[in-house]
Amino acid sequence: MGYTNLFVAVCISVMRKGTVEDQAAIDQVLSGDYDAFEKLVEKYQGRVYRHLRKMVKDGQQAEDLLQETFLSAYKGLESFSGSSSFSTWLFRIATNSALMFLRKKRPESVEYNDEIGGGGNHDMMMHSSEFIRTPLEVLLSREGREKIEEAIEGLPVLYRTTIVLRDVEGFSLKEVADIMDTSVAAVKSRLHRARNSVRGTLSSYYTERDVDAN
Amino acid sequence: MKTCKEFCDNLSDYLDGEMSSDECRLIEDHLAMCPPCALMYECLKTTVSICEKGVSEDMPEDVKERLKVFLRTHCKSDRLKFREE
Repeated sequence: MGYTNLFVAVCISVMRKGTVEDQAAIDQVLSGDYDAFEKLVEKYQGRVYRHLRKMVKDGQQAEDLLQETFLSAYKGLESFSGSSSFSTWLFRIATNSALMFLRKKRPESVEYNDEIGGGGNHDMMMHSSEFIRTPLEVLLSREGREKIEEAIEGLPVLYRTTIVLRDVEGFSLKEVADIMDTSVAAVKSRLHRARNSVRGTLSSYYTERDVDAN
Repeated sequence: MKTCKEFCDNLSDYLDGEMSSDECRLIEDHLAMCPPCALMYECLKTTVSICEKGVSEDMPEDVKERLKVFLRTHCKSDRLKFREE
């Protein structure tokens, strides 16, 4: 077995273990064990909060939506069929809540025809070598992390939701499509554009930084 | 014959392992002979890698505490319902 196949097998094994553990916790909750629900909340609250903060770009609104998400999950737990993983189901609730909030409060922020750049052009590539030459500890320094967050937050909501679910949260393309109630093809298209837009923003930043340093 | 733009349009799918083995070979052959596209690929790979590691999961303790209190308060009626079934 090659390293890639071994890695995939280990990932699937870990995911299955997580799914089995979540299902056991759900069974306990449904039999009246509230502590089991609190364990599920503890397990997922950080990831769901991060996802909501990226979607609505406001800490207070993210907190309100976080509370709404877990309350909805608790109330709807009996309807959880297990056809998807608990995390996919939970993120779908969170995503729908955030999109409903944005459509109601800030409809201008949810434009389905929002177009962004990121088609891949060679002019931009000429500026990119500084980016990949930058050491990882600089890319992931406090300043580097702020730039990554800024680049993601600069994307229209459907694009930043897609890149966060796939590249930050690690959901598969099919799971992202399930969470966002769209097709895998639409996810691939948004992901391609979102990644290239973030790449372009970071490349420009590190190119300018390199010029300023010299 | 595919253009560089067409190859670049497929790099995201290639990173996700969404291409057939024939398509992968075409891309790999192109990357080996086209430095600008190879650079684009490395930049995209770096972007994906640092997105995964670079976005913090930090959640303030007071937000955690308020969530716990909120849920204990609002889930009370449903807790009784679950027990009865």
